[in-house]
Amino acid sequence: MLNADREIQELLADYAVALRDGCVPTFLKSLTRDEARRISESRDFWEATEVVRLMNSAGFGDKLVTPDVGLFISRVDAGIASRMKKAQASTRDRSRSHVNLQ
Amino acid sequence: MDKRLRNALKQLTASDTESRRRAMEPFVRATFALFIGHLHRYLGNEVECEDVLEDVYADIWENPDHLRDIEEEGHLLKTVYLYYMRKRLREVYRRMNRRASLSQDDLQNLMAPDLGLCDLLSQEELKQLLHKMLGKLKARERKAIELWMEGMSNRAIANQLGTTVGAVKMLEYRTILKLKEMLKEYCRASGGED
Repeated sequence: MLNADREIQELLADYAVALRDGCVPTFLKSLTRDEARRISESRDFWEATEVVRLMNSAGFGDKLVTPDVGLFISRVDAGIASRMKKAQASTRDRSRSHVNLQ
Repeated sequence: MDKRLRNALKQLTASDTESRRRAMEPFVRATFALFIGHLHRYLGNEVECEDVLEDVYADIWENPDHLRDIEEEGHLLKTVYLYYMRKRLREVYRRMNRRASLSQDDLQNLMAPDLGLCDLLSQEELKQLLHKMLGKLKARERKAIELWMEGMSNRAIANQLGTTVGAVKMLEYRTILKLKEMLKEYCRASGGED
């Protein structure tokens, strides 16, 4: 992505590689104002991105290394526990302020 | 929808938070592969997929109302994408785009688009469809896409095809647009919307 003023076909090819290689943020950061405008105005680009996503999914979706689901579940549970705590704390705060007001 | 997932969904839409928390484990086990595969389509990065999905599950726990009355897997995936995943995808990229040039609307359309023509096809259906479409391309076009799907860089593809990187990018672009037309044709033929 070194070329500073990419045409729409180059932008699509670079987006496709970025998506495939899991580095979309790098692609986003590489965009200049003119390139962003070019993307914005190109209907072909938007239509093509859909195909790129499907190609990426068909080619690499099943090569995903599935992590330890058990470990992932504990992360989800920890997230839920933290949200529960926050909800309880905010309920307590609200009832305290209600008492103070009285 | 298999029985395990149906039961998990039923428990998940229960009213109290503790029951929903207990129901989350079977729900995650039953849906993890489906959801992470779908997210990978937009992110292409396993670590980011996991991070987003973690929030998605917690959001589902907090507000599972959209998942009531779901009868089949395609409907579940569509609902989860539209009501939970999209919001999270947008948040991730809103943060990342602070210094980028793309407008917020364009960024949203790029990172968390509306569901496309074939977005709810399974991995296997998608592969078959793509295989069929690639078979209709010219040899050079097909080769460029196949090499891309093998993970080759554009420079390596250019070397294989005996051409320049610029020519490869143009070839890929035109071929992808051709594939898009074929997709539209497929959707028309199978009674979907364009």
